[in-house]
Amino acid sequence: MDVIQVEHIRKRFGNKDALSDVSFSIPKGEIFGFLGPSGSGKTTLIKILTAQLNPTSGQASVFNQPTEMMQQSALKMRFGILTDNSGLYERLSIEENLELYRQLYDLPKSSIDKVLQFVNLSGERKKKVNRLSKGMRQRVLLACAVIHEPELLFLDEPTSALDPVNSAHIYKGLRCLNEKGTTIFLTTHDMAEAELLCNRVAILYQGQIQTIGLPRELKKQHRENVVCVDLINGEAYELPIDEGTAVQIADWMKLGLIERIETKEPSLGDIFIKMTGSELL
Amino acid sequence: MSISLKRARAIFVKDYKEFSRNYAISFSVIVPILFAFLFRSAGPSLPGAIGFLLNTSFVLLTCLVQACLIAEEKERNTLRSLMMTPATTMDVLIGKSTLVFIVSVVALAIGVYILGYEPASIWAFVAAVIFSIILYTAAGTICGLFSKTLLEASLSIIPVALVFTGAPWGVLLADDFPIFKVLEYAPSVQLVRLLDIQNIGFTMENLLKPLLIILAWTIVLTIVSVALYQRRLKDE
Repeated sequence: MDVIQVEHIRKRFGNKDALSDVSFSIPKGEIFGFLGPSGSGKTTLIKILTAQLNPTSGQASVFNQPTEMMQQSALKMRFGILTDNSGLYERLSIEENLELYRQLYDLPKSSIDKVLQFVNLSGERKKKVNRLSKGMRQRVLLACAVIHEPELLFLDEPTSALDPVNSAHIYKGLRCLNEKGTTIFLTTHDMAEAELLCNRVAILYQGQIQTIGLPRELKKQHRENVVCVDLINGEAYELPIDEGTAVQIADWMKLGLIERIETKEPSLGDIFIKMTGSELL
Repeated sequence: MSISLKRARAIFVKDYKEFSRNYAISFSVIVPILFAFLFRSAGPSLPGAIGFLLNTSFVLLTCLVQACLIAEEKERNTLRSLMMTPATTMDVLIGKSTLVFIVSVVALAIGVYILGYEPASIWAFVAAVIFSIILYTAAGTICGLFSKTLLEASLSIIPVALVFTGAPWGVLLADDFPIFKVLEYAPSVQLVRLLDIQNIGFTMENLLKPLLIILAWTIVLTIVSVALYQRRLKDE
């Protein structure tokens, strides 16, 4: 069953298309990565899917309901969202912020302890939000978005302000949430993050999907058909993958001359640059 | 439109905590009490004192605090986060307005008590004050929704102050400038008319006319504030 279906969505601001003819679907339980540089239309799409914006044309549905219905409380109970438009109450503590969300979602008190563990902030619960670092704020925002263990989670650059240790903690938590059945729609320009987390990715550039697929398949599709061989005497070769190379490598191996051997596989970042001619910023 | 009292209460409790820790805004509570002390020393029979106290407090307390609460939520993106939760428009607006309503009622009750004002009809006085608090809360909501920052919200109440608080003075110029006759229908002028009714010899019509005009303003501004909030749910 598809949780999100997007058909020929177009969004125009003034005389510029933020999104043009975007179509894709996301089945239940998937972590879907929407990759692209800043201003490519990622946040616009999240806004359309959560009924904060109307598309200029095309159709989108979430939980098999048209996106206009996403303003209903019953549907809002089923998704969580973290974007750069999310905010916290500065004069309240982390716990007081979460207490508000706990009551709005009608959850048991234990949900606060659970979500604080998820974002690794159990020891900081009494701290006022205005005294938190940017990374800690981001984790509190994430806690607010997942406190009700939503069926669908929209994440817009969730780890952009986090250090590697906290990012790793969040990745672990998101995978755990996903294993429990949460579908995750993740936008990012961090290709390493996408490779690590996503089952499937789409690359968005200038409002259009350039490619969509499994990260492994995309890499295979864009792989250069060469093998790199480093020999122990310091020589390095880049050879085409064919029978002749296989024989040559077998000979070197018999003689014990090979130090390193690898196929030349592109990263998602390389694929993005190849498809768009642009660097990810 | 569904209303969840549990969610509205959660928003009220959150606002109360924020308000009690924000001294710049919570300071407004002393406005009616301060005016009451000033006018009391001048004598309780000072003409127009009660009208000035109420009409000024509605703007500097009710309208300003509500506008600041809404604008601060917008400035810090918490309003958008709140809109993404199951809380409905009415949950949010009732939750946010309840704090301002209670604070205004308590501060005005203390102010009126200190001033020693005795209305001709207590029920008409209470009804007029309650309608006015709701009216100025709605006006504050509108100001807050049009503002992007706290500073803008503080400035946005100036037109409300000029039109509503200034109307009882403006109407005095109606003989020279007939256009000011329109101010006769301002809620602040009608409140002054109601407050000026003498204890003896008034009719039900004397009470009902100003009350109904204030009520009409209350209904219209409340509808406008709800409609405007609904529009703000979208980013268009």
